[in-house]
Amino acid sequence: MKLEGGKISSSHLTFLIVGFILGSSLILSPGMAAKHDAWLAVLVGLGEGLVFTLIYLTLAMRFPGKTLVQYNDIIFGPYLGKVISLGYLWFFFHLGSLVLRNFGDFLTSMIYPETPIAVFIILTTLVCASAVRNGIEVITRCSLILVVFTVFSVLGTIILLAQDMKFTNLLPVLDLPLKEFIKASHSAATFPFGETVVFLMVIAFLDNVKQAKISTLTALIVAGLLLVLSLLRNTAVLGVTEGIHVYPSYQVIRLIKIAKILTRLEIIVAVNLLTMGFLKISVCYYATVLGLAQLLNLRSYLPLVFPVGVLMVSLSILQFDSVIENIFFAFEIYPYYSLPFEVGFPLLSLIIAIIRGIPKQEEEKGNRKQDSVDNI
Amino acid sequence: MKILLIIAFIGIALFEVPGLIQRKYWRELIFFLILLLLAFILSFLQVIGIKIPSPIKGIEFLVKYLKFWRNM
Repeated sequence: MKLEGGKISSSHLTFLIVGFILGSSLILSPGMAAKHDAWLAVLVGLGEGLVFTLIYLTLAMRFPGKTLVQYNDIIFGPYLGKVISLGYLWFFFHLGSLVLRNFGDFLTSMIYPETPIAVFIILTTLVCASAVRNGIEVITRCSLILVVFTVFSVLGTIILLAQDMKFTNLLPVLDLPLKEFIKASHSAATFPFGETVVFLMVIAFLDNVKQAKISTLTALIVAGLLLVLSLLRNTAVLGVTEGIHVYPSYQVIRLIKIAKILTRLEIIVAVNLLTMGFLKISVCYYATVLGLAQLLNLRSYLPLVFPVGVLMVSLSILQFDSVIENIFFAFEIYPYYSLPFEVGFPLLSLIIAIIRGIPKQEEEKGNRKQDSVDNI
Repeated sequence: MKILLIIAFIGIALFEVPGLIQRKYWRELIFFLILLLLAFILSFLQVIGIKIPSPIKGIEFLVKYLKFWRNM
């Protein structure tokens, strides 16, 4: 437990989770498959995401002060537990590199068309590496400022766009087959909401574990409602054409024209993506590095920060050849690929923990075990 | 480009290794060097223009293979 000395408070955790969920979903709108019902799909997805989060929280409450990698060893035994932990770490690592790639794709296709994508990815990783080296406490404190700014910018753009909105654009509500709708809402549940599985590595450092439930669920609901608001804004302004844009939020904010003074505000979206993406990448990066250090029984996670960062940069550059491949993966493959990590393994560990009644056994021999853990 | 990459890796090694040796963190040093070597090989291959198969292709194949999930 000496790996991370920092403690975070539950209200800071709320901000961090809001930032994490808004991460890349402010740009890559989830639930796009449902077209103008995307907001409804996200709302249903939020419900599904809350169920996922309850699974994670029940699991985290059973093992207070321990991270995912540590209690995988207790639940599944030292060998199988290590294999499953490695699976989780791959998922966190890959999630970080996917967000990095979204980041680079957005910047190169919209703002800096002539610059190679590696420039943005490497610079972002450097910033995140510095945040990760400083520990979870620093990342959480950053989120306090950045998330407030993002929330205000989302609400502000809604007010500025009020004159362009046509709510008839939303009208044929649920005008698509139920199967399509469920697919879209499930994709919304796995893309921003289910990714909170990463926080199983972070909740351990909360100063008051009992408040984890309230703060996490509040964060999920706040972030979900903000997403729904931004999707309503996009659909009400763009209408049917929403589906043809890769980044609808960016297109919407381009349309703001008030008295020839407030124009070209689209950079706000880029700033939102930069700040929220920074939080999301940092949390994934941190979870990977910390988990790897715990898996290998190291005394410090700092030496792993740069090698893992370089691997993340390499993976994010080589994994897709174009933006279209990235979007296809995010909406068609990712909902199924992430399912075992977001639902399968956590649910399995929870069921095994309940059947074996593990935390109670731990209390009996807890003292002896605690000593040996401290010695490491 | 290759020289830049090598300089960057030497910089990372110089940044981390002295502190690890000073504190006698041998285990950490070994895993640091293994991961750094892996990262160096991967990024060096990318820089000299060899196409590395993307893990996404494997994931896509796996998901499409389990297509019966979708048809439920």
